[in-house]
Amino acid sequence: MSTIELFSIAWQGILSNRLRSGLTVLGIIIGIASVITLLGIGQGAKMEAEKQVQALGVNLIYIRPGAANTASISQGQGTAPTLTYEDALAIKQNCPAVENVAAQYTIGFQVQHGEQNTITNVTATEPSYTDIRNFYPVSGRFFNQNDMKEGSRVCVIGDTVALNLFGSDNPIKKQILIRGELFEIIGVMEHKGVTQSLDMDDQIFIPLTTGYATLIGLNAVTGRSVRSILVQCKKDEDMQAQFQITNLLRLRHNIHSPDFDDFTLRTQMDIMQTAQSITGVFSLLLGATAGISLLVGGIGIMNIMLVSVTERTKEIGIRKAIGAKYSQILSQFVIEAVLMSLTGGVAGILLGIFGSTSISQFAKWTTVVTPESIILSFLVSLAIGLFFGIYPARKAAKLDPIVALHME
Amino acid sequence: MNLIELKNIWRIYKQGPETVNALRELSLQIKQGEYVAIMGASGSGKSTLMNVIGCLDKASAGTYLLEGQNITQRTDDELATIRNKTIGFVFQQFNLLASMTALQNVLLPLVYAGMEKEKRLLSAKSALKEVGLEERMQHLPSELSGGQQQRVAIARAIVNKPRILLADEPTGALDSNTAKDIMGIFNRLVDDGITVILVTHDAETASHAKRIIKLKDGKMLDDLML
Ligand SMILES: Nc1ncnc2c1ncn2[C@@H]1O[C@H](COP(=O)(O)OP(=O)(O)OP(=O)(O)O)[C@@H](O)[C@H]1O
Ligand SMILES: [Mg+2]
Repeated sequence: MSTIELFSIAWQGILSNRLRSGLTVLGIIIGIASVITLLGIGQGAKMEAEKQVQALGVNLIYIRPGAANTASISQGQGTAPTLTYEDALAIKQNCPAVENVAAQYTIGFQVQHGEQNTITNVTATEPSYTDIRNFYPVSGRFFNQNDMKEGSRVCVIGDTVALNLFGSDNPIKKQILIRGELFEIIGVMEHKGVTQSLDMDDQIFIPLTTGYATLIGLNAVTGRSVRSILVQCKKDEDMQAQFQITNLLRLRHNIHSPDFDDFTLRTQMDIMQTAQSITGVFSLLLGATAGISLLVGGIGIMNIMLVSVTERTKEIGIRKAIGAKYSQILSQFVIEAVLMSLTGGVAGILLGIFGSTSISQFAKWTTVVTPESIILSFLVSLAIGLFFGIYPARKAAKLDPIVALHME
Repeated sequence: MNLIELKNIWRIYKQGPETVNALRELSLQIKQGEYVAIMGASGSGKSTLMNVIGCLDKASAGTYLLEGQNITQRTDDELATIRNKTIGFVFQQFNLLASMTALQNVLLPLVYAGMEKEKRLLSAKSALKEVGLEERMQHLPSELSGGQQQRVAIARAIVNKPRILLADEPTGALDSNTAKDIMGIFNRLVDDGITVILVTHDAETASHAKRIIKLKDGKMLDDLML
């Protein structure tokens, strides 16, 4: 008896009770669709996190004032102003593994243009910022070394700020007031989105020197303090760069033991790892949820197959009476289970793809359905059919024909 | 040589503390081409005997030779092959698969036999023709009368050209006119050389046979050649 024959017998079996088969398949569809969707959300979150870290720039080291153990909560007002513009200049001059440096000081101010006003982050930084952050103006220009030297009152605004203050008008050459100080807009930045929970587009950039002269002022102890220093290392030299920067800063700050470090280095790798461990847990939770719904779907198949075997005892008896062998009955029921779970699997995959696209459309989450998760779901549904189908099928195949025939 | 030879067959059912001897030391020989009716009171063991002969059931003790071969120790799959190739079975309740058409029901033994598709169709159609049902072969059992359903069952039983046709009260669920038609089919099959063994309560039905075996309490009471 050929395989095609066995499949056709199993298919007839499925069709002989469409409602029951349909409900069984539905269980698998829901299970597989939730696997695809939830894996899609998990993958999407992971990709989004990686993208955001990439968007910070390449080979980046992030230096902040404060000790490592308090680094994550030391961004506020209480931060000791231990990091200075001079530190940044020294790093640029003395660390050979360093390609580029941009000190930055970000602080929130009220900004006005005519009647419009908004509160936004003002980032005072250096011209090298654009290259390091891989973030450039779409129109006009960024400020240059000359603006730095002269302390020009120029600024470059993010596209959210441009929209808030100017709507569809061209903001270039317009004047704005930042905390009452007059600045001329010389450029508008490209759209970048949110990275590391900071809306990159809701920012105004001014030359660092201008910042000290107008908005930030000088610190009584350290002079030109900065909130962070961005360092771009030479390619494949980030280990050397970290080493050189740490040594240099300890030397400059008179630190003899690493326990007393008053600065923290964070590499892109660190940030990436943190993001990945968070999204990893997220994916695991989603995966476990999906796994449970699949298990329930599988038990559903077994349950229905058992009911089906009991209900069809007479049919099995008839088939045996006219000469069906053990293996022929076994394969009929196993194939029935597998066909149902595969049908459910394929439909579930389609529904899952639809589900995750809808989620990314309506909830604006990034979701990614990978070929791996499709293949995985397909194999899982096959395995469910086999695993949960074999027990009921064995029960059917082992039935005594006389007993089966006497069943009503 | 005897086609069927039973030697001292016992069939003992154990139900908890109770044991029922459905067949007791029964011996019987049937030759190729015989037409046998088995009669007896309800519970006398007629169906049990049919099931043992038809390899649906195994004797508890004794020897069963079929076509000269001892089949007492055969495996379930080997018995399935015998049921498929050598023996056709007709039941009182027809036992057709409700979701399949008459033709599909008749095809089924051939499917299990592994016959190729075109040959299968030819055989099934000729079996249906033999019972006079070729125009209604695309109908489901529920769309057929009792007599027609029993004819489909007979077609299914003979489609594999078995040597033996077993019928357990084949007319028990039919009115007397329809029963006569069914008996006519059996008579023809005997003429074609098939060995027919049927169980009946009805003397009129039994009178078609050439030999009547009477059972009582699992034992042979009478063995009459007509
Ligand atoms: N599966 C079983 N378990 C226990 N006892 C059984 C079983 N099948 C049959 N018997 C018993 O075996 C005896 C013979 O039963 P069998 O069905 O052969 O009778 P029968 O002659 O066909 O009767 P009827 O004319 O009513 O069909 C009866 O006493 C019956 O109760
Ligand atoms: Mg009986």
